[in-house]
Amino acid sequence: MTTRLREDAPSAGAGGASALLHVQDLRRDFGGVWAVDGASFAVARGAITSLIGPNGAGKSTVVGIVGGAIRPSSGQVIFDDEDITSLPPHACARRGLVRTYQLSSEFAKLTVLENLLVAAPDQRGESLATLVFGKRHWREQEERAVIRARTLLERFGMGEKEDEYAGNLSGGQKRLVEIMRGLMAEPKLLLLDEPMAGVNPTLAREIEGYLAQLAGEGLTMLLVEHELEVVERLSQAVVVMALGRVIATGTMAELRSRPEVLNAYLAG
Amino acid sequence: MIVSASVLVPSIGFGLVTASILALAAVGFTLQFGVTNILNLAYGDVMAAAAFIGYVLNKHGASIAISLVVGAVFGAVASLLLNRCLYMPFLRRGTKLFGMVIVTLSVGIIIQNVLLAIFGATFFTYKFSVGSQVHVAGMVFNGSQILIMGLAVAAMLLVQVVLTQTRLGKAMRATAANAGLAQASGIATDRVVDVAWLLSGALCGLAGVVLVLNTSAFQSTTGNDFLVIIVAAAMLGGVGRATGAMVAALVLGVVTEVAAGYISPSFKEVIAFGVLVVVLLIRPQGIFGQAAVERDLA
Amino acid sequence: MNATSYYLTTLLVYLGVDILAVWALNLQYGVSGVYNFAFIVFQAVGAYTAGVVTLGSPSQNGGFQHYILGWHLPYPLPVIAGGLVAGALSVPVGLVALRKLRTDYQAMVMLVLSVIATLVVENVTGLFNGPAGLSLIPQPLTNGVASSSLNYQWLYVGITAAICGVVYIFVHRVTSSPLGRALRATRDNEAAAEALGKDVFRLRLFIFVFGNAIAGVSGAVLVQFIGAWSPGSWLYVETLVVLTAIIVGGTGNNAGVMLGALLVPVAFNEATRYLPTIGRPGLIDALQWIVIGLLGLVFLWFWPRGIIPERRRRFARQAARTGDAPRAGEPQLADPVV
Repeated sequence: MTTRLREDAPSAGAGGASALLHVQDLRRDFGGVWAVDGASFAVARGAITSLIGPNGAGKSTVVGIVGGAIRPSSGQVIFDDEDITSLPPHACARRGLVRTYQLSSEFAKLTVLENLLVAAPDQRGESLATLVFGKRHWREQEERAVIRARTLLERFGMGEKEDEYAGNLSGGQKRLVEIMRGLMAEPKLLLLDEPMAGVNPTLAREIEGYLAQLAGEGLTMLLVEHELEVVERLSQAVVVMALGRVIATGTMAELRSRPEVLNAYLAG
Repeated sequence: MIVSASVLVPSIGFGLVTASILALAAVGFTLQFGVTNILNLAYGDVMAAAAFIGYVLNKHGASIAISLVVGAVFGAVASLLLNRCLYMPFLRRGTKLFGMVIVTLSVGIIIQNVLLAIFGATFFTYKFSVGSQVHVAGMVFNGSQILIMGLAVAAMLLVQVVLTQTRLGKAMRATAANAGLAQASGIATDRVVDVAWLLSGALCGLAGVVLVLNTSAFQSTTGNDFLVIIVAAAMLGGVGRATGAMVAALVLGVVTEVAAGYISPSFKEVIAFGVLVVVLLIRPQGIFGQAAVERDLA
Repeated sequence: MNATSYYLTTLLVYLGVDILAVWALNLQYGVSGVYNFAFIVFQAVGAYTAGVVTLGSPSQNGGFQHYILGWHLPYPLPVIAGGLVAGALSVPVGLVALRKLRTDYQAMVMLVLSVIATLVVENVTGLFNGPAGLSLIPQPLTNGVASSSLNYQWLYVGITAAICGVVYIFVHRVTSSPLGRALRATRDNEAAAEALGKDVFRLRLFIFVFGNAIAGVSGAVLVQFIGAWSPGSWLYVETLVVLTAIIVGGTGNNAGVMLGALLVPVAFNEATRYLPTIGRPGLIDALQWIVIGLLGLVFLWFWPRGIIPERRRRFARQAARTGDAPRAGEPQLADPVV
């Protein structure tokens, strides 16, 4: 399964109308320790942007802020031309900014199919009107969602597992469910927090393949990733963080020769 | 409202006695909670059990001193056994925070009703001489109340010595302050947990006997009735912080008695409950604690 | 023969009330992970409401009770009122107490609120007659049927069953719908549910209000049968009985918790009630509580999911399954039974 870099995708540093996400001057401290101390970058539409950096660089905090789970001490997050800085996670998700989690976050006592169905957006069956009108209020929409979910399951090779409790899956399978769930939510931007961490190499290559396919279909992604080779293969744009700051942006080829990037990885 | 000395000063006196009892109980509670992270709702009932054991001894002619010592020993042993035989096995099975609440609550209900089944629903009193009255700065104390306050001070000093001078004591404080780090450094071993339950249990048993010495009559539910103000003091002072619990006990003890003197006795409880709810909702780390960090149960 | 029938009908009414209660608390605890240790307060709210809207003014009842309102609402308004008031009261409580708090602290907050509620009712005697409570609450629909007759007992059993049926429709609508699924997702992993667009707080507030409204209905049904209600009827530990019933019967399963309602409150409490009074008075009560406590511990240890655990929801498959998207013939949604 080969992946191709899309040379026509704009680089991460570029702002302007084509960027789906702008992160401006984010800062966040925890009890006096500045986890993020001035981070700015943009995520272009239709491309994969990677966020890399040594441990403690602040990547997870940035992801938390962008996704709405953490409030920044200062700075802004602009998504699709809207300031979403102070919005909670569910509001961000409703606007198409969907985040996946690094550690296992499956709904353990729901089946795999139900895990995906939960993610379907704007479900009539979740409104209070369900109490009044009952099943006929949501039956049709649910049936369509089931079809969509099953299609996804087939695509990711988990069609046979739809009735399995998500808590009983292997680590790798849980990771796939995580990604499928994110896709089920019909995101404009998929925020993937180390999707291949702790997964066996075969599955990691598989996931990489899926991500490349999705990028080829035009899905915008922001990927936090450790393995630099993967980053080089997948991303059109890379943002490097160290010690809470964004220290460089560009393509992997450009960054390889930059001394500050090398130093950050050697020192950190 | 005119603060008349005739109500205020004696109320403060009552408050100091209540604070002494509360300090013993709250320090015990907070030490165990701080180390193990288990909200032990059976604490008050173990206090009651210790009180009843002391009562049985007292009825057969034992002195108060014996009742106090046996109560403390009973509390220590009972708490250690409860942890080893019940709480720890449940934890190892993966029971989480709320599940442990149900477990400790069920245990408490069982203890309370075993006491009820054995002793019946009537009220009980210890037989002892209350001692002559002492006048201090407008407040009046009888002999047993002086004893209670003296005991509390002595116990608090002893606890402070253990916590600051012994290795196990320091390990307990480290675990309570930052359990994740302590666990990672291998400090929070089974032994530290055992000591926490023993020490907390001893204080629990002591507080139980002391509590019923001060009240004119007690029954199987007396310990449980006291539980909320104990938890309030422990939370207010910051979970795991012995000195915090002592200060909180002093404040709560005096404030509730003064309120009882001015408004009505049942207001004591309302204040205690109100404080607890406010603390839990607004500042769960208490006055002296730091923001709570996610941690495992020990 | 008659005594047995009276006993049976009383048992059935209590069973119906307990079934309503377990469904309600199960919606909160089993389905949604909301730890409502103040549950019993809302049942009491329903009972008190039904009482004060049917008792008429205090002077009409001999003047020895003091309480608010004192109307004469016709049936079934008292039951509806009980549910509405309990639900309404849940809103401010939920807004305050359902914030993001670690689960044992939340249990503690609710527990303390439960005790505060008891204190308030006991001390503000003008509300519901303080510690003595309300009595002489009239039974409904006694026009055609004499209130102390066996026929009336059966009539009330029928009323209770009907109310259970109506409530079940709505309970089932929640548990079998995407709304129920969203609630279960919230229970299993709050952060992930948020990240997928679920407003966790709003969902929890809804189920808190809805569950407590049903609790209020159960209280109204009970109080109009037994005619009296006092703080002793709703000590905070009563929530533990309902919780134990849920744990024993099957957390998260509507049928399972019904079984729990049969086994725990009804079978244990009622069966021991008719044992000969051995030992001193109050011993049987103490033993009952010990059994409840032990049941909880034993089941949490051996069978934490209960006798009838939460069902796995399956979705019917269509006939042909190829690699592409399925064609005509939409998948039939399997109708969950409970």
